[in-house]
Amino acid sequence: MSNPIEEEVQREIKTNKILIYGKGTKQMPMCGFTRETMQFFDKYGFPYELIDVLQNPAKREFLTKMTNWPTLPKVFIDGQFYGDTDILDPMAAKGEIEPLLKKAFGK
Amino acid sequence: MITNDALTSYIRKTMSDAAVSVTDRTGTMDHFSIKVVSDHFKGKNLLDRHRMVYQALDEPMKDGRIHALEIKAETADGS
Repeated sequence: MSNPIEEEVQREIKTNKILIYGKGTKQMPMCGFTRETMQFFDKYGFPYELIDVLQNPAKREFLTKMTNWPTLPKVFIDGQFYGDTDILDPMAAKGEIEPLLKKAFGK
Repeated sequence: MITNDALTSYIRKTMSDAAVSVTDRTGTMDHFSIKVVSDHFKGKNLLDRHRMVYQALDEPMKDGRIHALEIKAETADGS
């Protein structure tokens, strides 16, 4: 019996090219790092989705185990896990983000 | 709340060669930027390096002494 939370997460990371699991909503991010991650992607102009897992401990726990990453936000690009801006910033500094996003959006 | 020395000793428990610099980002001793330089990171990508730091700090993260953590993880030759 596969886990409904797992199915939900698999569907979410497939349908959203850029997906941020974080705290709060786009209008009302509840954590500095979530806001910082949105601002990071705002620079590139590609659409992204923020899914609030603040009130969903079971889903948060699942995501932590799945990614072996204890904190939020958790970023997925094109279905692949990339941690958070601690990982994305050094990648951007090496010019790795732009091509990654273009590929994800088939540009 | 946790002191810089306590943070450093947690890191050194698993990475004995680590040079650790800690910045308290908000003055509340629970929002930190931490830079760890260790050759234990050699050959590891960024995600795995950060996982190593999180594992070393698992206890103070779990009990809330650390609320937020920004990580820089490099080897001695800066790669």
